[in-house]
Amino acid sequence: MAILTANGIKKSFGDTQVLRGIDLEVEKGEVISILGPSGGGKTTFLRCLNFLEQADSGTLTFLDETVELAKANKKQIRAIRMHTGFVFQNYNLFLNKTALENVTEGLITARKMKKEEAVKKAEAALLKVGLSDKADAYPNQLSGGQQQRVAIARALATDPAILYFDEPTSALDPELTKEVLAVMRDLAKEGMTMVVVTHEVGFARQISTKAVFMENGVVVEAGAAPEFFDAPKTERTKEFLRSMSSKDV
Amino acid sequence: MSERVIDILLESFPKILIPGLLRTIPLTVLAFAFGLVIAVIVAMIQYANIKVLKEVCRFYVWVIRGTPLLVQLFVIFYGLPGVGILIDPFPAAVLVFAVNEGAYASETIRAAMEAVPHGQMEAGLCVGMSWWQIMRRIVLPQAFRTAFPTLGNEMISMLKDTSLAANITVTEMFMTTQRINAKYYLPLALYLEVGFIYLMFSTILTRLQHYGEKKLAAYGKR
Repeated sequence: MAILTANGIKKSFGDTQVLRGIDLEVEKGEVISILGPSGGGKTTFLRCLNFLEQADSGTLTFLDETVELAKANKKQIRAIRMHTGFVFQNYNLFLNKTALENVTEGLITARKMKKEEAVKKAEAALLKVGLSDKADAYPNQLSGGQQQRVAIARALATDPAILYFDEPTSALDPELTKEVLAVMRDLAKEGMTMVVVTHEVGFARQISTKAVFMENGVVVEAGAAPEFFDAPKTERTKEFLRSMSSKDV
Repeated sequence: MSERVIDILLESFPKILIPGLLRTIPLTVLAFAFGLVIAVIVAMIQYANIKVLKEVCRFYVWVIRGTPLLVQLFVIFYGLPGVGILIDPFPAAVLVFAVNEGAYASETIRAAMEAVPHGQMEAGLCVGMSWWQIMRRIVLPQAFRTAFPTLGNEMISMLKDTSLAANITVTEMFMTTQRINAKYYLPLALYLEVGFIYLMFSTILTRLQHYGEKKLAAYGKR
């Protein structure tokens, strides 16, 4: 059963059409990676799904509620955000809050959870990303990899039905990338539903159940994971995967 | 210095200090507090980009920053009675200084808000927080920290500017000194004396500012 269905998402910035009608279906427990060259619209697409950008047209069916993206009201947007988690390229931790507070913040303010309960949840989430010992550290006392893991814990703690990752390792060096990918791999194993925009083709191949290749605002090719990587149907996908894996770690 | 001068200085010291404590300081603190409230509201309106209100705020900042404080004091205190609005000297001074501070501090706070990385707003929205919650708990605390040193300077600057309130008959320190001088005619000694008291006050404020800055040390920075 699909928990998320996106249909015909279009988005322009000024005269530039960034998304020319994107469809995506995500089933529970699936890990979908979205690959493609920079500027192809991957990030914009992901941001449209969480209303960080307002799409010009298209519909989104999420947990059996269908909204027209261009006409979604505050209440609908908030309802969707309450059940999704978003991990950013630049972590975007709250700089005036400790690691633990970063995780509890949304639970206490947006979900009206009791503080003790929120702390318990946050501690569990930090444990999961291997950062229990950093609970009291502020973001600028943490490495990029640690910050990103806190950001993942923050998203996890809200029990999202789906987790979005927007190039979660692009700002990290290979060493730190590994620790973040390890956390994501665990999540995938546990059956977390994830949509991952990434440039890590090797990693995408390992964890994905489905992959999408996007370029110039259209889906060039989409398919089940091993086949997509091992025997892509289009020349363009083949070429892209080849160029990307040559610099894979 | 003759004994007479010393006697007069000693005698006038409490006479100047007391209006300082009863007028200058309350005027500064009240006007600064109200000014800060105005400033935060004006800064938030501009940050949130609310259409018509934003233009109103811009106009306000433009007018207040573009006209002398003394003129503003005269308009409110001597001008408004002409249209039937009478305000007592002290409240009139608080009003003018607050409105003035609001305009300057709003720019300080707006800049500090814009310096808070915008991604935190998006992250807050993504965990389901409302714009207000993010503003109150994430953006404003960080902006306040950034703005603090500048706001401290503005407060010290305002402390000294309150001497202008003498012009609208607020019997603060400077006016009191003028009155004492009218009696004894010792301008050099007496105006140096009031200057010294202003210096004392602003030194205390400077110390408080440093203390506050330390307390607010950047999150997690040693």
